Amino acid sequence: MSGAALPRARSAETRTAYAFLSPTVLLLGLFVFVPLGWALLISLQHTNGFGEGGFVGLRNYGRLLTDARFWRAAANTVLFTVLVTPLSMLLGLGVALLLDSALPLRALFRSVLILPMAVSGVATALTGLLVFDQDRGIVNAGLRSLGLHAVHWQSGGVAAFVSVVVVTLWWRVGFNMLIYLTGLQALDPLLQEAAALDGAGWWQRLRHVTVPLLAPSTGFLVVINVIYSFQVFDIVFVMTGGGPGDATSVLVTYAYETGFSQRDQGYGAAIGVVLLVLTLAFTAVQWRASRGGDVES
Amino acid sequence: MGLSRRAVLAGAGAAGLSAGSAAGLAGCGFAPSSSDSAKDTLRFTTWGTDAELAGFRTTIAAFEKAHGGARVELNAVPYEQMFTNIDAQLQAGNPPDVFRVPYYTFGAYAGRGQLLDLSSHLPSGFSDRFTPQAWAAVQRKAKPYGVPHHTDTSVLLYNKKALADVGVTDVPTRADQAWTWQQLEQVLRKLRTALPASQYPLAVNWQGNGVTRWLSWLFQADGRFLSADLSQPAIQSAAGTAAVDFTRALFPDKLVPPNNSVKSTTLAADLWYGGTVPLSFGGAFQLPDADSAVDFEWGASPAPRDVRGGGDFGGNALVATAKTKRPGLAASFLAHVTGEDQMRAFCERASLLPTRRDLVAKGIRFQVRPDLSRVFLGQAGVVRASDSGQVASPSMSGIISVLQDQLEQTFVGDQATAAALSGMTSGIAKALAA
Repeated sequence: MSGAALPRARSAETRTAYAFLSPTVLLLGLFVFVPLGWALLISLQHTNGFGEGGFVGLRNYGRLLTDARFWRAAANTVLFTVLVTPLSMLLGLGVALLLDSALPLRALFRSVLILPMAVSGVATALTGLLVFDQDRGIVNAGLRSLGLHAVHWQSGGVAAFVSVVVVTLWWRVGFNMLIYLTGLQALDPLLQEAAALDGAGWWQRLRHVTVPLLAPSTGFLVVINVIYSFQVFDIVFVMTGGGPGDATSVLVTYAYETGFSQRDQGYGAAIGVVLLVLTLAFTAVQWRASRGGDVES
Repeated sequence: MGLSRRAVLAGAGAAGLSAGSAAGLAGCGFAPSSSDSAKDTLRFTTWGTDAELAGFRTTIAAFEKAHGGARVELNAVPYEQMFTNIDAQLQAGNPPDVFRVPYYTFGAYAGRGQLLDLSSHLPSGFSDRFTPQAWAAVQRKAKPYGVPHHTDTSVLLYNKKALADVGVTDVPTRADQAWTWQQLEQVLRKLRTALPASQYPLAVNWQGNGVTRWLSWLFQADGRFLSADLSQPAIQSAAGTAAVDFTRALFPDKLVPPNNSVKSTTLAADLWYGGTVPLSFGGAFQLPDADSAVDFEWGASPAPRDVRGGGDFGGNALVATAKTKRPGLAASFLAHVTGEDQMRAFCERASLLPTRRDLVAKGIRFQVRPDLSRVFLGQAGVVRASDSGQVASPSMSGIISVLQDQLEQTFVGDQATAAALSGMTSGIAKALAA
């Protein structure tokens, strides 16, 4: 290739690259960055839901500091994340290990576990209500038939929180299982064989060989699960509406309530921006930690 | 992937308040097409049951026939989407010409300049066709910003056998003979004694925005939540204390199910349909569902009274948007749908109550359970204009949130009555000032 042809080829390659990138950039810009920027702008305004808002600087963020309902929702969101993230990953790993072995009907089990992923959050929550409805739910019907006391799944704060966590786990374990299963199937079986020949038992192989080798899957799942948990909305909204009291209120349900029910959209947007900053901060920390791990390894 | 989901949900789901989202909604098929900008075409957005939508279609056909060349484009949407949709369209500058709105939401639009002042578009004496309480519900600073299309109000729906089993066979059917609070409490305590632990005597329909129905207790105690000029909270009163005291006692005494609080996702109607309670507050709009879903014999009795009778002024207004390019035609349509024949047909078909004086005086007969029409009409008659006028406050969205928070804390969080009233007073004051 001649000296003049090389820059032309590079230029054509660059144009092609931009052409391939442009739909994604356009969609991201239109549906992600523009709304985000707009939300940030609205969070600095006092609005009544219609027309132009008035600029109030950081006043909406200042209000958050003294809003007990915001802090309750934030604490619930953190608790929900702390419970759901490790539990869904542990259960997902356990099921993935089972399905990676010579389990009969494993294709069927795999499909059944993945099925909730195909169902919308609202449909999942409605199914959860069938199970956990205080008056006519399957669980309480079973408890009553055994002569036991029914659980106050809607009117008891702890029970309501538990019901939301359980339904979320049902929804998410399949996804965690899928990622771990993919990770397991990519592992070199020779490493397991070598460990077995060295006398390592099942638990030792799992702890010292399998789990460390699954670190990339684990890192990805931690980030995804934390982000999903911070953003939980539909299951809480349908199953408990944030109640009883504010026992299951989370940041997104609170932002929705202030933004859409009370039409205090500036304040609702401020809650959304805080959620975004928290999520970004966590993701940055996690990425930094996982990059450090990669370098060390 | 993480970034995009995070951004989408944080930006659109949580904060999702931007005009970008609004424009997105308007451009994604939620909004009626604006391409039809024909001079005589009105765009009308509503939600509705099958019976209500059929009623609207009949009304529209009659209007189009009577106004040669005029067309009304009906855009029926699910209730859950209705007001995020309308708000987005208003923000995007592409609202429908006419839409339907509950009375408790009316003020939020009228008070923020989104609705057409109908004063100069309606014929003189137009207000005379409506009951005072209905006309008061569509006023903003003494000007009409809508027409009261229909109303609804809550009465007690009861399982006849369950009440008969505890010796209650003489159930009132006239509002002026309704049970007093004390008589209702006696009935509830009899039921409590007779029912197993998994069942409860009563369910109240104050969930969600239905928290405005709690105000019925306040009105029955002859109280107010806003001052006469709607500018100050007025709930801190003997009537407020009586209303909170009576309703909060329902929970520890197990007269209502524990999941019957105001923020519960379980509706009172479902508790009644499912047999968890034999007695429930319900509106006329529930009659068709109840008639088909309930397999026991049931009746209806007026809501209880205390110092006086009182009830919620439920139902919906029809409003025209301030930016409509066809204000005259929109006003004509609003006048048409509140004509005697149109309103009668709509209300009888959809089990709703009329707002016209003549229909209230003559009475109507629901197509389903016509025997209960008089109970509901009588109950609607005890609603005062001073009660319904308060609910038309432009700050009602904020006030609803205050009522929900304070009553929830009181019913399931053991908050004392004094603290509840204090919280309501400061919350309402903030909502009015916002």
